[in-house]
Amino acid sequence: MANPYQPAPVKILAVQRETYDTTTYTMAFTDPDRQAAYRFAPGQFNMLTVFGLGEAPISISSDAEDRASFQHTIRHVGRVTNAIQRMGVGDTLWVRGPYGNGWPLAQMEGRNVLVVAGGIGLAPLRPVIYYLLNHPEKFNRAEILYGARTPADMLFSNQLLQWQTEKVKVRLTVDQVPNGDAWAHRVGVVTTLFQEMDSQPANTLVVTCGPEIMMRFVVKGLMERGFEASQIYVSLERRMNCGISKCGKCQLGPKYVCRDGPVFAFAELTLLPEPVLV
Amino acid sequence: MAVAKVSERWAAMSLVPKEEVGLLVDGLARHYQVIGPKQKGKAFVLEKLASGQELRLDYQTSILPPRKALIRPRETMFSFHDNQVETVQDAGPQVLFGLHPCDVHALTLLDQVFSLEYEDPYYAARRQQTYVVALNCTTVGENCFCYLMGTGPTLRDGYDLLLTDLGNEYLVEVGSDAGEELLRHLSLRPAPRVRVVEKEKRLDQVRRQFRQQMEVTEMREVLAGSYNHPAWRELAKDCLGCGNCTMVCPTCFCFQVKDQLELDLNHGQRVREWDSCLLWDYSLVALGHNFRPQLETRLKQRLYHKLYYYEDQIGTPGCVGCGRCVTNCPAGIHPLEVVARLKGE
Ligand SMILES: Cc1cc2nc3c(=O)[nH]c(=O)nc-3n(C[C@H](O)[C@H](O)[C@H](O)COP(=O)(O)OP(=O)(O)OC[C@H]3O[C@@H](n4cnc5c(N)ncnc54)[C@H](O)[C@@H]3O)c2cc1C
Ligand code: SF4
Ligand code: SF4
Ligand code: FES
Repeated sequence: MANPYQPAPVKILAVQRETYDTTTYTMAFTDPDRQAAYRFAPGQFNMLTVFGLGEAPISISSDAEDRASFQHTIRHVGRVTNAIQRMGVGDTLWVRGPYGNGWPLAQMEGRNVLVVAGGIGLAPLRPVIYYLLNHPEKFNRAEILYGARTPADMLFSNQLLQWQTEKVKVRLTVDQVPNGDAWAHRVGVVTTLFQEMDSQPANTLVVTCGPEIMMRFVVKGLMERGFEASQIYVSLERRMNCGISKCGKCQLGPKYVCRDGPVFAFAELTLLPEPVLV
Repeated sequence: MAVAKVSERWAAMSLVPKEEVGLLVDGLARHYQVIGPKQKGKAFVLEKLASGQELRLDYQTSILPPRKALIRPRETMFSFHDNQVETVQDAGPQVLFGLHPCDVHALTLLDQVFSLEYEDPYYAARRQQTYVVALNCTTVGENCFCYLMGTGPTLRDGYDLLLTDLGNEYLVEVGSDAGEELLRHLSLRPAPRVRVVEKEKRLDQVRRQFRQQMEVTEMREVLAGSYNHPAWRELAKDCLGCGNCTMVCPTCFCFQVKDQLELDLNHGQRVREWDSCLLWDYSLVALGHNFRPQLETRLKQRLYHKLYYYEDQIGTPGCVGCGRCVTNCPAGIHPLEVVARLKGE
């Protein structure tokens, strides 16, 4: 019997430092058949193991159409993620997945898309952005709002402005600019970008991810501007010890965030007895 | 799975004298590990029976629920060394002897929890080799409310064999092919019709000992509108957040996963342990963020899961009314009394 808890080895193929505490790793399963068969949907995550330290759920941050490898963008904050920081090209990690549901790409057809990301929250949204760039015919217009603490905290900084096309607008902001840093964009929390964005409630789908507190203000700000709870999709973080709806840790009402999420329409969450993002 | 529907050819029932039921255990122990109720101090535990003489079918409830025979309080999932991973399995044929109806119901709930979408290979391997010899309840414990939850005091399915205490002997009913197999080497006396009638009479008496305080559907309705009820704050003041209630609960399934490394830093194991939503670090994530920092929200998680969410997850309430959480709660928190308080009684 195949054991769904048992991870398989992957080799790190490339390492790209994003910020002082965040790194993007390109990796592939060492078994070429496994890599060839591996598919994921934007918004899904893997469980990453460093043996002896444990396992961590990490979103896949690469283009879902790239079949030769996949990427994780990892903020080094604890046991597992700090151990990964000490790894380099050629080192072995253990991975199982993909898990979770992913973003509602099919619903983007013929509609406008508003992407709102904060900090590390851009990582699970990058596969959506690749999808929009690969398939301009699959949506109407798109706008990306991204906020980070300081200019040095911006992920994918050499890509951000290149994502702009005729159909895709990118707007950036930082909470603060330390003395001496060059910064040509907005200063303020990500919701300050709502004042200048083109996106209107009509025919728009919102996808957002970031710290819990940020998503709370994003949802509130958008609803004040006339967006409906059913138009807004959020990706939630929860404690996860299995990723496959067994350990119970990620339960939210009757839902398992690892299986029924991590992406939820905000309207779904408002039906739960336990308050989420309010 | 060992469980099957009762069919015509098993309609035959047999009798075993009380003093011989230990021999039944000894007979089974030749082929299976037999886990049943035995006395430990003043309480009863479900543990491996060294012989039929240890069996105590007069027990009311065991301290830990039978799920410990299917997912252990602490167990190794796999071992790793030198870039090799090996799944660790310890499943073997076992008989759970003398389980009460509420506990058998709990197993059928866990069967779903551990197989929906992804099958848990450790649970599944043990469950496939697990046979259930159930025991209808002929006495009612102080904290039992199975009748209200529809899980007792008698059992309709989910067993391989079912015993009913008729005074000086047990009536034995067969519930599956596996159950018939369990009896194959034993020569039991067929039960005359009058003894079967006696069974129904006794069980009716037991049912009449329960007070029907509330309907299950009503509990759901009450909870649906009570998340912000002020009584929760009062309850949270009484609750110690110890997690006893979830440890003893037969339908709780949460676990946490840990790695342990040998001193050579090369060999290690991934282990899992029962966890509890009552504990402070249950919903803790990196950088110290906690999704349920207040005991009040953790207490609500437990009771809403048992009496509300579980039903949405698998179609049956997650409480089987075994009363263990009540018995083991230092603050005396009782699920039914909580609902009654929310209802304003
Ligand atoms: C769906 C999802 C997607 C995510 N995507 C990303 C992403 O793309 N990039 C990213 O950087 N982060 C992501 N995260 C967050 C990431 O999972 C955490 O930062 C990561 O788990 C931290 O693990 P750690 O071991 O480094 O940190 P730690 O703080 O050491 O551990 C994290 C949690 O595990 C517990 N823990 C630690 N050690 C033990 C132990 N020995 N026994 C029991 N519990 C222990 C801690 O209490 C804490 O709750 C995502 C989270 C989720 C749920
Ligand atoms: S909640 Fe209490 S009474 Fe209900 S099944 Fe669990 S331990 Fe038994
Ligand atoms: S969430 Fe709480 S009540 Fe529900 S199974 Fe887990 S520990 Fe038990
Ligand atoms: S992570 Fe284990 S149930 Fe969701």
